[in-house]
Amino acid sequence: MEGTGPVEALLFWLFALLTVGGSLFVITRRNLVAATMGLVGTFFAIAAVYVMLFAHFLAAIQVLVYAGAVMVLFVFVVMILNREEDEPWALSGLAGKGVATVALVYLLVRVGQVLWRVREAAPAALEAVNGHEFGTTRALGSTLFRSYLFPFEAVSVVLLVAVVGAIAVARPTRRHAEQEDAR
Amino acid sequence: MTIGHFLVLSAVLFGIGIVGVLMRRNALIVMMSIELMLNAANIALIAFARQHGDMAGHAFAFVVIAVAAAEAAVGLAIVVAVFRNRRQVNVDELTALRH
Repeated sequence: MEGTGPVEALLFWLFALLTVGGSLFVITRRNLVAATMGLVGTFFAIAAVYVMLFAHFLAAIQVLVYAGAVMVLFVFVVMILNREEDEPWALSGLAGKGVATVALVYLLVRVGQVLWRVREAAPAALEAVNGHEFGTTRALGSTLFRSYLFPFEAVSVVLLVAVVGAIAVARPTRRHAEQEDAR
Repeated sequence: MTIGHFLVLSAVLFGIGIVGVLMRRNALIVMMSIELMLNAANIALIAFARQHGDMAGHAFAFVVIAVAAAEAAVGLAIVVAVFRNRRQVNVDELTALRH
């Protein structure tokens, strides 16, 4: 049975620790560049978790799209904004924070309940998946183009609209350009 | 390793993302927290796909990654446009759409 040995367990805890630690790093940093770098580490650890789940193609996509493209976008915007520091935690609106905390605790309790039931219902360890095809580029491509062709094409339209929309939103208008010149 | 391990990791990551969205006031950190939540959902999808030996979860995760990239592009463009107009990205101060 693959994926259930002590080495795999050790690797899982290592990458889980890296994921959680990296994400905590992201939401606690004052420096935006440091937070972005923490996000890069988190994404790499998540890619390793994908590999442990036999999702090799998605792990590669995770590194290329998230740790590559999305992170470059974030770093560019951080550099454009050029604001070194940011208040770490909001102190105003204490009542709102209290409600948010109660909601978060409630959500975590409910998620814990659901997870407990899942583990009771399916206590079996993850088994080796059927065949050597699972998770490969070939298998995912076959699934995408046979069963999920319409979502695939819809995603391509969404990406096109997003790129055009991003350019349209971020492009400086004539008025702003004149303001920049006057400044 | 049971599927529960991966689901707990996914839930913890999702919770951290929620805390980031609720507690931080910088629009960029809020967007990074949203990315964390999307990744948590992806881990759950892929864990279930492995448990059931079904590639459909991978297809969904693929779509989620693509939509997240599109969301990041549009969201960051909006942040840049807002910064150009208002000179700040504090979500508490951006109340132009408040009724």
